[in-house]
Amino acid sequence: MTQYILRRLLLMVPVAFLVTVIVFTLIRLSPGDPVLVFAGEERDPEALDALRHQYGLDQPMPVQFVVWLEHAVQGDLGRSLRTRQPVLEAITERLPKTIELGGTAILISITVALVVGTAAALNRNSALDLFATGFTLAGVSLPNFYLGIILILLFALALRIFPPGGYADFASEPFDNLKRLVLPAVTLATASLAVNMRQVRSSLLDVLSQEYLRTARAKGLGERAVIVGHAMKNGLIPVVTIFGLQVGAILDGAIITETIFFWPGVGRLAVDSISGRDYPVVQAIVLMSALSFMVSTLAVDILYAWLDPRISYTRRAT
Amino acid sequence: MRSARVLSLFAMLAILVGACAGGQPTGGGAASPSTAKAVPGGAVTFALEDDPIDFDPLRSRAFIDRNVHYQIYDSIVRIDSSGKIVPWLAEKWEVAPDGKTITFTLRKDVTYHDGSVFDAESVKWNIERYIKTQGSARSGELASVDTVQVVDASTVKFNLKAPFAPLLANLVDRAGMMVSRKAFEAATSPDDFTRKAFKAGTGPFMLTEAVKNDHITLEKNPSWWGKDKDGSALPYLDKITIKPITDSSVRTTNVRTGDAHVANSIAPKDVAGVKTESGLVYQEKPAFGFNSLIPNRKPGFVFNEARYIRAVSMAIDRKEILDKVYFGIGVVGYGTIAPSHFAYDPSFKPFEKPDPEGAKRLVQEVGKGPLQFEVLVAAGDALLLQRAQLIQAQLLKADIKMDIVQLQFAEILKLQNDHTFKGLTDIGWSGRIDPDGNTYDHVYSGRPFNDSAYSNKDVDKFLDEQRATSDQEKRKAALRAAEKIYAVDDPARIWYRFVVAQLLTVAKFKGLEPYPDQIIRFQYGWLQK
Repeated sequence: MTQYILRRLLLMVPVAFLVTVIVFTLIRLSPGDPVLVFAGEERDPEALDALRHQYGLDQPMPVQFVVWLEHAVQGDLGRSLRTRQPVLEAITERLPKTIELGGTAILISITVALVVGTAAALNRNSALDLFATGFTLAGVSLPNFYLGIILILLFALALRIFPPGGYADFASEPFDNLKRLVLPAVTLATASLAVNMRQVRSSLLDVLSQEYLRTARAKGLGERAVIVGHAMKNGLIPVVTIFGLQVGAILDGAIITETIFFWPGVGRLAVDSISGRDYPVVQAIVLMSALSFMVSTLAVDILYAWLDPRISYTRRAT
Repeated sequence: MRSARVLSLFAMLAILVGACAGGQPTGGGAASPSTAKAVPGGAVTFALEDDPIDFDPLRSRAFIDRNVHYQIYDSIVRIDSSGKIVPWLAEKWEVAPDGKTITFTLRKDVTYHDGSVFDAESVKWNIERYIKTQGSARSGELASVDTVQVVDASTVKFNLKAPFAPLLANLVDRAGMMVSRKAFEAATSPDDFTRKAFKAGTGPFMLTEAVKNDHITLEKNPSWWGKDKDGSALPYLDKITIKPITDSSVRTTNVRTGDAHVANSIAPKDVAGVKTESGLVYQEKPAFGFNSLIPNRKPGFVFNEARYIRAVSMAIDRKEILDKVYFGIGVVGYGTIAPSHFAYDPSFKPFEKPDPEGAKRLVQEVGKGPLQFEVLVAAGDALLLQRAQLIQAQLLKADIKMDIVQLQFAEILKLQNDHTFKGLTDIGWSGRIDPDGNTYDHVYSGRPFNDSAYSNKDVDKFLDEQRATSDQEKRKAALRAAEKIYAVDDPARIWYRFVVAQLLTVAKFKGLEPYPDQIIRFQYGWLQK
């Protein structure tokens, strides 16, 4: 198992490299000139050429890539073209905030999906099941930006229960921090909740018709032990996959929600950097996002082995 | 499963690379003493439309930055709320009869937030830094300055290469902002200074904290030199927190809920609502910025034919654009000289009524068949698309067919700067205090913002003339003569609207009024207890 994990970790290096090459090329091929974008309303050609030279943008693309890579492997991801903030600082400053938002959203999503999804599966075609299925459909159909604004209008403007976005430091204002977390976390959770709830419900329904559950009941196990111990453990394997991918995708989901609720996380940084053609920042964010995907899929694969003893990574598949 | 992972990875890449920019500069508000009795103290939150980038005036290229600059720095001169240049760090100034020197007499009671003294040496160091630093965003505005000479501690003389009337207006803004040499040199690098210019100015507020995308904290400068009309010390407020909120509905909602006290960019569709809402005060005033359709006049492109540009200008209904797309927010415009400029001519209304029949005749006169072209619209902003669709419908009445092409903002900018776009683009201009700043770089042959690649000898001559004289009347005549050519006779663009400076405050936040440069003067604001 250790060997397997090591091998997977090692494999991440070429994948990360490939992602880097692709992103580096794509962002530079996408039309637009970063210097022109941040030049704004000061477009003196001499000053712009000086900036292009200063940032190395006048070099051929392969040279730029080698220079970037050379620094990157030493842990220096460069400085933002637009704000001159070191990229590493820009990301580490915002990452905890995105993790707080994304983590809370996933927690909400998983908890509700498990409880309601299970209840819906056990009471198939009941009112609860219908409600859960309907809610699911609405959740998938409502785009984040729309739901976010509706929640702000309802809870911040009409009812005045929660503030309309923003961030407060957890260390100094923990209560305010949590209050500001609720609306964006619920917004972010809704879309994945729908998917998760469906998955829980259908996986459980699959398992519930299996023979071994009848056996379990026949040998006199209580209903609770049958569901929790037998049905859920087997039924949740596909669910784990989906959850795992969602953890890896925290960053992507946060992009819109962070913009609506002006939550100062990595998602907003990504939006600003892409529209501003801020190459170093975009490269770093995509690389980070790719790494988080790779780590979360690895975690999912390890969890598989633990959940299902039939899956083993020590022997080579034939 | 593996293919699903690969797919999701690509989906993620696609989302990241495909996201887009939108928009154009929009506006602000401003202020001065009010009639009620002001009380000192209190803290306000300012909902700003975007995150400021550069605190160093030397580097600043974004309109948004000025919202902070005006609070933390003082300039050599400033404007009042009507747009007139007034004394600021300079108590008075004198322009030599030949127009080649300006002598400023400086205030003697000014110190920087870090304790260092502001004097003539300080002015010299700042102006030379703006001129000589490589990549300086201010060198263009100060290009006319040859040397800066310290006469005595409170007198400084600018020697110009040639007379340049708009210089004083440039010194109102970032090119005239004074930065503490001590604070600048104490920073580890210029890159760090521009992000953390803490206590670096002489202005009414001091920058003490800046967290990207989150908030900026400005604290009261207790020893600011400014006084209100009763002689009490300004500013009144203890603290300003600036929060960047890019979504316009969310920004407005923050003022409506009281989470923010003030905003200076309100979406036109929200204006009617906030005007009638109790607890809110909305003010506006004509600003310097404009909207225009920019044709590519280079040979080989449709609008190389000037009569086509004129036909489009005749066919569009500016009033309808203002009313339907902007809900009446703004002023119908036909050129670059805005209502708050000294040279504005309210009777200049060359295309007051749409004339589709006249446009048809012009197109026929060219004799190359029906006119068809494309307009580039920045993707991701509903207002920009609605505007393009309305113009499209208006042009159709003159049998002119305009196709709408949506591209990313960065891409349009590049095509526009390279003069390789096929038909029209439409990127706004936030405006400058002097009409020269709205005009020269936009229509003079070969200048950086001359995106239509326009060139007209008479226009160039008039614009050079108005730069060389400080006689307001002569300048006015030359500017107006040029405007008639580049807007009507041999059109460079299709101008259609001037922007307004907006100011939305909660009712208990008093003392502010809009300024035509759209920037808020927080030193006059106070909170009713």
